[in-house]
This record gives sequence, structure tokens and C-alpha cells, in this order.
Amino acid sequence: MLQPKRTKFRKQFKGRIHGVAKGGTSLNFGSFGLKAMEPERVTARQIEAARRAITRHMRRAGRVWILIFPDVPVSKKPTEVRMGKGKGSPEFWVSKVKPGRIMFEIDGVSPDVAREALALGASKLPMKSRFVFRPGEQS
Amino acid sequence: MSNMTTIKVELRTQVGKSAARATRRLNRVPAVIYGNDIAAKSISLDSRELKKLVGGGSFLTSICLLKLGENTIRTIPCDIHFDPVHDFVTHVDFLHLRKDARVSVNVPIRFLNDQASPGIKRGGALNIVRHEIELNCTPENMPDHLDVDLTGLEIGDSVHVSSITLSADVKLTISDRDFTIATITTPVGMSEDAQNKANEEK
Repeated sequence: MLQPKRTKFRKQFKGRIHGVAKGGTSLNFGSFGLKAMEPERVTARQIEAARRAITRHMRRAGRVWILIFPDVPVSKKPTEVRMGKGKGSPEFWVSKVKPGRIMFEIDGVSPDVAREALALGASKLPMKSRFVFRPGEQS
Repeated sequence: MSNMTTIKVELRTQVGKSAARATRRLNRVPAVIYGNDIAAKSISLDSRELKKLVGGGSFLTSICLLKLGENTIRTIPCDIHFDPVHDFVTHVDFLHLRKDARVSVNVPIRFLNDQASPGIKRGGALNIVRHEIELNCTPENMPDHLDVDLTGLEIGDSVHVSSITLSADVKLTISDRDFTIATITTPVGMSEDAQNKANEEK
């Protein structure tokens, strides 16, 4: 699973996801992509599950690019622990995704296969997303 | 050679964020014409007509004849702004063309005969390094797309810009090196799946 090699600080504030994506809103590498339509935190496990679903449907053809990286640690308190006594320990990593952000790009497959593969990948993600393609690409 | 598109446009009297939003609410897209030492004109276009043109894929490599009242202005679309979430066009920039103008445009590449490539048939993936190439040409000789033939390419082979034949008047903006357009590689997904299977067997 994806996670940073080293970080400056172990724990971060939760924060909120405001606004829409400023960059990464158009296709840069592949011919087809999956665009987020809602703000959400995507965990490293969800990214990996989506990547597996996409690559398995594409079988032996094509290429996949993952354009989000889980660089935010999320902490959690152990079960049956009273409140207080400080913040919990980091449990997993998430990527904060804003609406409009392209999360996955693929290439080297037919539009029908790409649409189906990205639909399977989208079902592993926690937000509504949309299939996008380059202008002029048949789909 | 380049497509000619005629678009009916209207002059906008008010400019700015608020007026642009009001224009969009009327199903029109705000746009601007500039260049050629002529004062910039704020205009608007029909959004449905523009959506069809942009969806065609060769809008940025076509000459647009903008019908503004009785006048016809010869332009080329040089920039489009999209809504980041819903991808509808929010603004278009048109560059006014002189008679003897030369323009730099990004021309899309189409890859043909991928099933005639033994490398792709054996499971190789077409890794596109550049989806567009920047060309310097006159608007009349501007190609709306460039074709690259993949026939006979094996895994490990690559296509360079020198393999594309351009007409005499069309020049590459990057002319100092023979850069790569695409390569045929072993698919990343296949090797990872094979690794996963191997790990599961262990």
C-alpha cells in the first residue's frame, strides 16, 4: 500500500476539505480517467483496492497511473479507552481529494474496457466519480 | 489541412465576473478576441454549439470565422477554460489572425493500426509519451491531427518525431532533437499481477 517513506511530523489535525481542485483536473498521461465529484478522504487501502480492480479488468493490456497519494496520517484511539490522555496513534494514511481531481488515468485499452475497468475501480472509492476521456476519443 | 468553422457570436457590453456569470446563466459562453494590434472585443457564444465543436477534438486546430453582426473576424482559438468539476467550457480566447500570420499550435496525434503491431498483439502496451506536438505554421496549412502508424512495431521499439512527415510550410517548435512520441512497453499491470500470483503461490 502507498504511504510516505518519512514525514516531518507523526500526527496531523483532521481539518476539512473545502473548495474544488485547483490542479490535476484534466487528463495528462492516459486517454481515460476517473474524476472525483465530491470531497472525500481516500485511504491507502481504497486506492489499492481500486488499482487492483482496474488492472484485473484490463488483464494484460494497457497502463494505469495513480494520481493521488495518501500523505495524511489518521490517528485513532484504542477501543475501550477513556477520553483524554492525548491524541491516539497513527493508524492509516489518507489522501484528501477535492471535487474535480483526476484520481486514476489509464491508456492502451479500448473505450469500452476502460469505462468498465474504471467503473469497477470507482466502486471501491468512497465518493461519487465520473469517467472522463480526451476530446475526440470515441466512447 | 485546417478546418474552417463559422460561429455566430454576440458582443458583450459588460465585462467582469458578475457579467460573465450572467452570460453563462443564459446558456452562452463568454469569450474574448485579441491580438493583431486591435482592441480586445468581449463576445459570447452559444454553449451547445461550442460543446459540439470542443467535443470533436480538433477545435484548437481549426480556423474560426466569427460572425459579429455584419463583420466576419478570422481567428484561431488559443485557449479554453473548463469548469474543473463538470468540464463545461467557461471561457474561450480567440486570437485575431493577420493575413500573413504564423501560429504555434499543439496538434493532437492519432495512433493507427495498433492491431498490426506484433508487440501490442503479444501483450505490450502503447506508452504514449506525447499526446500532442507543438507546430509552427500558417493557419491555412495547420493540420487538425497527425497520424502515427504502429505497423510492425515490437516490444521495446519507439516512435520518434522524425517518422512523421510534415508538409513544407509546417515546422516543429522543438527542432533541436528527435524526441520520442511513443514506445511499446511490457504492461505494468501484467507484471504486478504475475508477481501477486507468485507471492500467493509461495
